[in-house]
Amino acid sequence: MNPHANMIIMSSLILGPMITITSNHWIMAWVGLEINMLAIIPLIAKQHHPRAIEASIKYFLTQAAASSLLLFSIINNVWNTGQFDITQSTNTMSSTMMTAALTMKLGLAPFHYWLPETLQGTTTMMTLILTTWQKLAPLTLLMMINQSLNTSLLVTLSLLSMMIGGWGGLNQTQLRKIMAFSSIAHLGWMTMILTLSTKLTLLTFYTYITLTTTMLLTIKLLETNKMSTAMTSWTKSPMLNAMMMLNLMSLAGLPPLTGFMPKWLILQELTKNHMTIIATTSAILSLLSLFFYIRIAYYSTITLPPNMTNYSQQWRHKNQQKPYLPLMIITSSMLTPIMPTFMMIM
Amino acid sequence: MTPLHLSYFMAFIISMTGFMLHRTSLISTLLCLEAMMLSLFIATSLCPIQLQTTSFMLNPMLILTFSACEASLGLSLLVASSRTHNPNNLQNLNLLQC
Repeated sequence: MNPHANMIIMSSLILGPMITITSNHWIMAWVGLEINMLAIIPLIAKQHHPRAIEASIKYFLTQAAASSLLLFSIINNVWNTGQFDITQSTNTMSSTMMTAALTMKLGLAPFHYWLPETLQGTTTMMTLILTTWQKLAPLTLLMMINQSLNTSLLVTLSLLSMMIGGWGGLNQTQLRKIMAFSSIAHLGWMTMILTLSTKLTLLTFYTYITLTTTMLLTIKLLETNKMSTAMTSWTKSPMLNAMMMLNLMSLAGLPPLTGFMPKWLILQELTKNHMTIIATTSAILSLLSLFFYIRIAYYSTITLPPNMTNYSQQWRHKNQQKPYLPLMIITSSMLTPIMPTFMMIM
Repeated sequence: MTPLHLSYFMAFIISMTGFMLHRTSLISTLLCLEAMMLSLFIATSLCPIQLQTTSFMLNPMLILTFSACEASLGLSLLVASSRTHNPNNLQNLNLLQC
């Protein structure tokens, strides 16, 4: 791509969510979302490949529908209450429609069909941007309107997305689709706690960003796109491959690792609010995700030599040094003891 | 619900239904998207009548500008897809399905 065009696209990709986050006026928030959507489409469609074009068309259609639905609910709210303030959107019908539109932008459960397909059609770095940076603006808007959201609706949506994130990932062999379903399940955890405590939503979001970034950078470095190449990827960087298992277990939320921290706090908060059945259900549903994380770890790490293997090995290329990866792996696996500090800061 | 409110509401709902249910060609989907954005433009322009305030023309212009950008992006995607897929059948976009 032309470097000038690339610079403009990247800067507006950064600028769009910034406008949305800092704005107090609904129209400016919508403009930020639109700028972001207009900037990401050329990046998705950069490879002139049928799959990239299809992914960008699917992304464009869902995001355009979601943003026009958001604008419709904004204007309904204005016609009924007469003001554009984000935190004051009190009309019930428009807040329900806003929930639908923002969850469509996020890729939550009933509106999730675009997410795995879009992620499958793009490169790993675009997957990284789509699963982390693109979630920032809609999630911030959801957190800003959380006074007027419907708790039972959000809890239903999040239980559904945990379920679909777990069940959908079971049948996949492509790592990026598995990461998409894991993203759906994590977003379910975030919206579960949204109306009860926004601080925990933020903490879950930060943890999710750290874990997903580490996982996708590992996938990028090992150049594994599917299970069958994950099996032979240990020849490229054996230590990184071993660490990938820790990272996957952290994504699943096993106790001494970082991913356990938000799940623990969310379950505690749900129990405090007498939602014991919902807490139990969500804890059980996270086992579905654990299954496919363990399957990736089994293929990539647990069946390593000295076992006899009968598959052909990959070429040992020159080892690329990524100085940021050790830091990110440490952050994504050993951050649980820092939890009291988080609780004091937030 | 005033007649003005009802008219833009119905315009939006009908075009949204068309957007969701009409699955043959990409260009008609883009036209439905434009109809949605135009009904929202009209709603924002008529907002001062409902609220009995002074007219403030920035919001409709912003909406119109961004809907034009969105339409141009949609048309460029139509051109890009016409090189790789049959643009007259959205069911052909099935390379990435699970």
